[in-house]
Formats: sequence, structure tokens, C-alpha cells
Amino acid sequence: MKNEEIDEILNKAARAPLDLEPALLERISGSIQSSLRPVRPLPPAWLMTCGLILICAVVSLGGAARAGFLGVEKMDLLERWLIFPVLGGLAWITGSGFVHEMIPGSRRRVSSGSLLALGCAALFTLFALLFRDYRIDHFFSIGIVCLITGFIHAVPAGLLCWLLLRRGFAVNPVSAGLIAGTLAGLAGVGVLELHCPNFQAVHILVWHTAVVPVSAAAGAFMGWLVRGCSRMRSAQANPD
Amino acid sequence: MHPEDNLETLMALYQQGDFTAAAALIERISPQLHRFFAAQYGSRVDADDLLQDTWLRIHKVRHTYRPGEPALPWFYAIARHVRVDHYRKSMRNSAGEREMEAISRTTVATQPEFGRADNLDALLAPLSESQREIVAMLKVAGMSLEEVARATSSSVGAVKQKAHRAYEKLRKTMSTLALRKGESGLS
Repeated sequence: MKNEEIDEILNKAARAPLDLEPALLERISGSIQSSLRPVRPLPPAWLMTCGLILICAVVSLGGAARAGFLGVEKMDLLERWLIFPVLGGLAWITGSGFVHEMIPGSRRRVSSGSLLALGCAALFTLFALLFRDYRIDHFFSIGIVCLITGFIHAVPAGLLCWLLLRRGFAVNPVSAGLIAGTLAGLAGVGVLELHCPNFQAVHILVWHTAVVPVSAAAGAFMGWLVRGCSRMRSAQANPD
Repeated sequence: MHPEDNLETLMALYQQGDFTAAAALIERISPQLHRFFAAQYGSRVDADDLLQDTWLRIHKVRHTYRPGEPALPWFYAIARHVRVDHYRKSMRNSAGEREMEAISRTTVATQPEFGRADNLDALLAPLSESQREIVAMLKVAGMSLEEVARATSSSVGAVKQKAHRAYEKLRKTMSTLALRKGESGLS
């Protein structure tokens, strides 16, 4: 049996008339008519992405200003010119992905999981290329502090980003949470790169990069909670 | 002149609060959404409920449609979300109810009228849920691969692969059925 023959059978079945009850359509129209008011469409995707980048930049700079710009002061020119543009580029790609995640039927080039993997891989490669001090002094005690600092700054960045896109509608809240967490994690890494003066390669590779997956996991968990809450609300509204 | 307008224009008017445009959209989109749900569940009552839920959701988030973008993927992305929600809700039912559902699904999948060209639900019954969804969007809604990819938040390649696998399965089932019919005709 050829594809064309299967097509023909399916097309014939799809064309068969469907006796949809007019009463059902009237009920739907009636329920919509009562609350029909003009609404303002979402702003263009590029504008929302710019807003997200701005939030991440403000959180990163604000966090580093409070803690001190010790890291960026210690960096050489090459490190400065590579780390921050790469972070900005990753934030743009992730921010754009987050915007598309909040618009149903939007074109998505990369899945949220792939974006997380891409972000971690890019940071890991960049840090591995730039930092060559392989000593491991106080690996856990200093590392945990950096991870917590990065995550603490990722939380407000994530919440502000979510707030900016609150009018959107995530058809998959877990995926949206994961990508929001990844973006927030990049803001956290931004704080660490501006502030942390510890240039030991293993420290940066492990603890700085870890901020991204940790906050992505937290975002996915938040998305899962949001999905559960919205289901509970809809179950209460419609017990059947 | 609303009924003749394209979906994108109607959607823009719906966002501006035009009830005639909303009614025209309901009339044009509902039959295919209903068939999309019926192809997934094979139950008219479920399809009716899901259609109503979908329109309530569409109404609530109508501001997320961006003028100029294709409207069908937007409708189907929301319909799909409602269907997944409904599916998860039904999965939370008691074990007994789940068993009953499994029995009824098996019955649908093996019903003897498979192959009747006028019954899309029966034709798609042997396919997996994701394959049924893809074929229903391509054939019932007449969406392009790009539009289906948008509606399912996946890539065009993934949609192509699922459609190919669905056709392979349909080919196998239809060939077996045709062979059986031939044998019974001979005897």
C-alpha cells in the first residue's frame, strides 16, 4: 500500500461530515460573549527578550556592586572580552527561548533541555580554555559559598523574569520553568564572574557552572508546582 | 463579511472584542478541534467537554496570540494542552477506573470496523497517542509540517519522523486487513 493510498483513505475520512450539535456551539458562544472585552496583545518577542536581558544585567551588576567587582578587576582583557559577551549571547538565546515558551504555537528551534545543555557546555568550554591554574585549595568550603551566592542572585532574576512574562501562557510550565531557571542561572554566573577573585580552573569549572543546572532544576520544580496548582484550581472550578 | 475572513484576521478582531469574529471562529475551528479530540479518545462526550474547555482556555489567553502569526498552531497548541491536562486528570483516577479505561481503549483499538474509510477515529486507533495527534493535525486540520511543529513545540524533523512512523504502522495494519478480507472472500 502506497503513501498516496493511505492519504486518500485518511482524507476521505477527514472530509466526512461531522454532526456537531448546534446547541454546543451556542453554549460556547454564549459563555464567551458574556466576558468579551478588547485585550492588548503581547508585545513583540524581541522587546520581551530585551526586557529579560535587562533584568539579568541589572541583577548581575547590582549583586556584584554589593559584593565588590573583585573578579572583573583581576581579569585580563581577553578574559573580559570573552566571558561577558559569551554570557550575554547565551542569555539572549535562552531569553528568546523563554519568550517563545510563553507564547502558544510559537516557533521553537531548540528545546529547553537542549538550551540548558548548550549553556553548560559553552560555559564549561570557555572556562576550560581561559583558566589554567589547576590548584585545588579549599575546594568545597569556597565552592559552596560561590554556588550559594550565584543561586541567591538567580532567584530574584528568575522571579523578575517570570513577572515580566506573567501575561504569557506556558503550555508546558515545567519546560518554561526549566528555561527560566537556566536564564536566571546565567545571571547568577554573571554575578560570580564579576565578583569572585578565585581563578582556580576546577573551582570555576565546577562551582560557577553548577549555578546554571541548579537554578534550572529549581525553575523546573517551580513550573511543576505551578502546573499542579492550576490543575487543582481547574478541578475545584469543574469537579466533574 | 467576517465569515469569509481568514483565521488571522478573525483572531485580531476577536482580540479587539468583536463578537461576530469570535462566533465565526467558533463555527470554523470547532468542528476540526472536535474531530481532533474524538480521534484521541473515540468518545463524543469527552470530545464535547474538551472542546468547551479549550474554548474557555482560548478565551482566557486570547491576548497571547500575536497578530500576523499563523493562528492554527496557536489554537492547536492550546487544544493539545487541554487534552494533556485531561489525560493526566484521568490518569489520577482510581485503579479500577483505569482498568476500565484500558479495557475500553483495547476495545477501540481492536474494533472490527477498523478500515472503514468514513471513520477517522477507528482508522487512527492503532496509532500511539502522539502519532494520532500528528496525523489528525496534518489530515484533519490540513496543517503544514511547520505548523504542526509549532503546535507541538517540536522540530519539523521530529514531526516528519512521527508522521513517517504513523504511516508505516497504518500501512502494516491496512495491508493485514486487506489480506484478511481477501482470504475471507476466497473461502
